[in-house]
Amino acid sequence: MSTHYRLARFIHRSAWLQIGLVAAFWLAGEACVRALALPLPGGVVGLALLLVLLATRRVSVFSMRRGAQRLLADMLLFFVPAVLAVLDHREFLGLVGLKILFVILVSTAAVMMVTALAVDCCYRWRLSHVGAKAAHR
Amino acid sequence: MSGLKPLIAEPVFQALLWSAVTIGFYWAAKRLYARWPRWWLMPLAVTPVLVAVVVLLLHASYHDYIRGTKWLVLLLGPATVAFAIPIYEQRGLIRRHWPVLLVGMVAGSLTAIASSWALAAMVGLDHTLLLSLLPRSISTPFAMEVSGDIGGVPDLTAVFVVVTGIAGAVIGDMILARVPLVSALARGALFGVGAHGAGTARAHQLGETEGAVAGLVMVLVGLLNVLLAPIVARLLG
Repeated sequence: MSTHYRLARFIHRSAWLQIGLVAAFWLAGEACVRALALPLPGGVVGLALLLVLLATRRVSVFSMRRGAQRLLADMLLFFVPAVLAVLDHREFLGLVGLKILFVILVSTAAVMMVTALAVDCCYRWRLSHVGAKAAHR
Repeated sequence: MSGLKPLIAEPVFQALLWSAVTIGFYWAAKRLYARWPRWWLMPLAVTPVLVAVVVLLLHASYHDYIRGTKWLVLLLGPATVAFAIPIYEQRGLIRRHWPVLLVGMVAGSLTAIASSWALAAMVGLDHTLLLSLLPRSISTPFAMEVSGDIGGVPDLTAVFVVVTGIAGAVIGDMILARVPLVSALARGALFGVGAHGAGTARAHQLGETEGAVAGLVMVLVGLLNVLLAPIVARLLG
């Protein structure tokens, strides 16, 4: 068994190591943003870098699949501390809070409705014009 | 109690305490939701409430709390990178359906911005709140970035994003029950564009295609918004 093969197998198994690899892409993205003064978050640049390497087959999807799944599955945990900012905004407990809630509820319903109808109409249109083959499923 | 005071004030102790409280409640909330999947038991809704109760009971401030848990928020960076994997794995879906998905994402984003703007102006919210509300449909790492770019308060946007996620998972179900949608594409896109991560979790329960579409659309709509934010900022400024 070659060392390369053994290393690959080791990485494919360890979710923690894979999280480390994903984080390395994030750091590389942050470094790019700093160096080039890009108006983008480091994570987005890291995502683009990784996508390019995946698409050109320089990186195997299995070297980060488990780690990425673990990160995405628990992503909601990472927002929790940010949400607690509401403790510094007691004014939200009153009328302002209700107004904000109203805006969020109505706007979210509108966004979902428009998105679903736009996608469905477009899908049906393609189905009838481009034919069943191109718009399969 | 007086002997404990210096220990409790120690930053390392604070960091350990608040991280343990946050992760512990999150883990418990997840188990609870797996057992009873009701919308008001979503970990996204339950965890912040429980953590807030502990913070208030211990007479701590948000400042103390966030100093100890900032590292969790930083992990949103690697989480953003992690989206590369599902995007890559769904490349076939993108190749087949990109025009349809693009139309849905643009329509949804424009509706989000326009309706938030109009409604916030209608009920008379101040300008900073209005700007912080604009990016709330997209996933947090993107939303906080956009919020800062256009002159909102990223912390407030994070709160609005969470409320949107919870509301969206419920509203999405109500829409599905009333509007006949032909394609799994539409059922997934509605959750991905409207309610980011929380919606994607719901879409995964509907079916494999719905879940994949929701996850994909959530990322792409986030990217689209980050790229458009400088333009929107110029229009607003």
